Amino acid sequence: MNRLDPQTLPLTRTEALTRPLVKALQHPWLAGIVRSSAVEDSLQALHPLLSLSAVRARVVKLIDETADTRTLLLRPNNLWRGAQAGQFVSVTVEINGRRHERMYSLTSRPGSRLLAITVKRQGLVSAHLHDAVRVGSVLALSQAMGEFTLPATLPPKLLLLSAGSGITPVLAMLRELQARRFAGDVVFLHISRNPADLIFADELRAAAVAFPALRLMLHFSQQQGRFDVGTLGQQVPDLAERATWMCGPVALMDAVQAHWHANRHSEPLHHERFAAAPLAAKPLSEPVRIQLLRSASDFASLGADNLLLQAEAAGHSPKHGCRIGICRSCQCVKRSGTVQNLQTGELSSTPNELIRLCVSAARSDLALEL
Amino acid sequence: MNTLTRPQIDAFQAEVDAIRASVMSTLGQADVDHIRKMITLCRVSELSGRALLHFGPGPLSWVAGVLALAHAKILDNMEIGHNVMHGQYDWTGDPALNSQTFEWDIACDGEAWRHSHNVTHHTYTNILGKDRDLGYSLLRMTPEQKWKPRHWLQPLTNLMLAMGFQYGVGSHDLELGRYKHGAIPKPVFKERLNRFVSKVGKQWFKDYLLFPALALWSAPRVLAGNFAANLIRNLWTYVVIFCGHFTEHVAIYREQDCRNESRGDWYLRQLAGSSNLTGGRWFHVLTGHLSHQIEHHLFPDMPAHRYREVAPQIEALCLKYGLRYNTGSLFKQYLAVMKRILVNTLPPGQPRLAG
Repeated sequence: MNRLDPQTLPLTRTEALTRPLVKALQHPWLAGIVRSSAVEDSLQALHPLLSLSAVRARVVKLIDETADTRTLLLRPNNLWRGAQAGQFVSVTVEINGRRHERMYSLTSRPGSRLLAITVKRQGLVSAHLHDAVRVGSVLALSQAMGEFTLPATLPPKLLLLSAGSGITPVLAMLRELQARRFAGDVVFLHISRNPADLIFADELRAAAVAFPALRLMLHFSQQQGRFDVGTLGQQVPDLAERATWMCGPVALMDAVQAHWHANRHSEPLHHERFAAAPLAAKPLSEPVRIQLLRSASDFASLGADNLLLQAEAAGHSPKHGCRIGICRSCQCVKRSGTVQNLQTGELSSTPNELIRLCVSAARSDLALEL
Repeated sequence: MNTLTRPQIDAFQAEVDAIRASVMSTLGQADVDHIRKMITLCRVSELSGRALLHFGPGPLSWVAGVLALAHAKILDNMEIGHNVMHGQYDWTGDPALNSQTFEWDIACDGEAWRHSHNVTHHTYTNILGKDRDLGYSLLRMTPEQKWKPRHWLQPLTNLMLAMGFQYGVGSHDLELGRYKHGAIPKPVFKERLNRFVSKVGKQWFKDYLLFPALALWSAPRVLAGNFAANLIRNLWTYVVIFCGHFTEHVAIYREQDCRNESRGDWYLRQLAGSSNLTGGRWFHVLTGHLSHQIEHHLFPDMPAHRYREVAPQIEALCLKYGLRYNTGSLFKQYLAVMKRILVNTLPPGQPRLAG
């Protein structure tokens, strides 16, 4: 059993009660009498955290970490199943009538009943979380997701490597190591533009003193120049012996991965990619026809982009969520044809298989249940 | 059917496109607030209607309950269901407003509707032999349709269709006629039939079994109330929908007229094939803004409450290009519909009715 899959985490006690209700409401005979959206809306009119199926959380505190980064402390309702350090949640907000979903690493403290996410202002949703969300606001969350976590049995030597806002999941891991009184040896190497941009600076410095297993290495690229992955071996001489967890910009993670391969390191290299580095889909020489069976329409594709984007460009609006291959909201049945998974590069021609539109590109004529 | 030159049609297309873009680029909070308000209103109306039917004393509360329930069903079918299922609110990303999963309080299954209405009717509006909404395969609405002896009974058929309109709409996608002629494979027909029967079953279970049973000794009162509310909804939707395409001067097309249409041609066909109703704000809402049938057919995926805003611009455009903008009161337009039905009751070659 994969204990990190939210589907397999044990249900909360409240969920054990609400699950059968949700199931009953979805039954076609009952759904025609009471829509579950009506039940949800009524519950939330009574109390904004009430829900039969959705994790909803109230903002209880806002902490400004740096000039452009803020931590939101959240109190979830009883449907929250808990999380492991390094996991993330999707946060759904409505901005000017449109729902947007984004993934944020959890930066909750070990053992705390409160959840935390640390958000750097960089786009529409993060700006909304900075400007429009106040103490008392309620956010809709997913259960915790992701397999970027520490194992139950810790290796003797670890490297936690991060850059920029990628510090969030690895900092959560560092806190967990500290809480578990890890007696091994952990190097925490973080790359930041300058000291003013360093999130959790005080906490890191305090841990460097109080946590004997920790060796803290900070690299400020404004003063010390761009971090050269080639020097990693000199900075961390026993690199080959360290199981590594890293999170940061795609270019950095690619470089580290290349370094790992070049030096044939055998210790595992775990990484978290939010901007999933999908393969650039190579356009086909001849356009193929994408047939949408339910809407009885079709469009032509050169397979140069994922199917979700292409369907949208063709004027359709398939159901979707994260758009990066995580939430499976855009999953649909492919009746026939060949698609390429842009995350793995795998080609698949199996008929009647479930594909995720946002990470699949057409490689032949397709018939989709859309 | 129109006298515009190709460059004029292209210019018309560009102007209609511009009107569309001016609205679609401003979709936002106000549109979501509107539809959510309608949903809340519909729920409150249904709850009070059912409460009055179940627990109200005397005949007056029965009438009030029927009206409230009919109001809820009309809102649900017209302003909410019809418009949501057109994808007018898909841009919100709210699963409760998703066109592909929405289901409504009517005997017509949502999935069947998405096909018969969104695909067939809106693409092939008023094309003989293609648009199956043209007389709903029951009525002869134009002299171009072949007359058959059964059309003598047309005025009666029309009344039956009006009273049971939800079943007309629900069985529409079965394409019974085409199935009889072998144009539809048996398994496809079977699947459609199952879907129709299952949806009707669910509706009957709810309105004619479960709710009356819950009312115990008031079961007959509730049963009659639910029936009356459904009947009112049927008559209202029938009148509104027939006034949208079967009034006087509405153009009927042949398949060959519409080959190789440009978007401009399509706009012109939608314009000539639709007619509007005049009325106040509440009247428009109760018709699901199908009182702006012309605007709806030009922009089927635009949130319908915005049609009021674009209607004057479309009307001005019609004036500029010398096109007919067919509008009138409900009374005037329905009179024209009735005339059309009666005229086409008679076989060809008969002296036409005066008027």
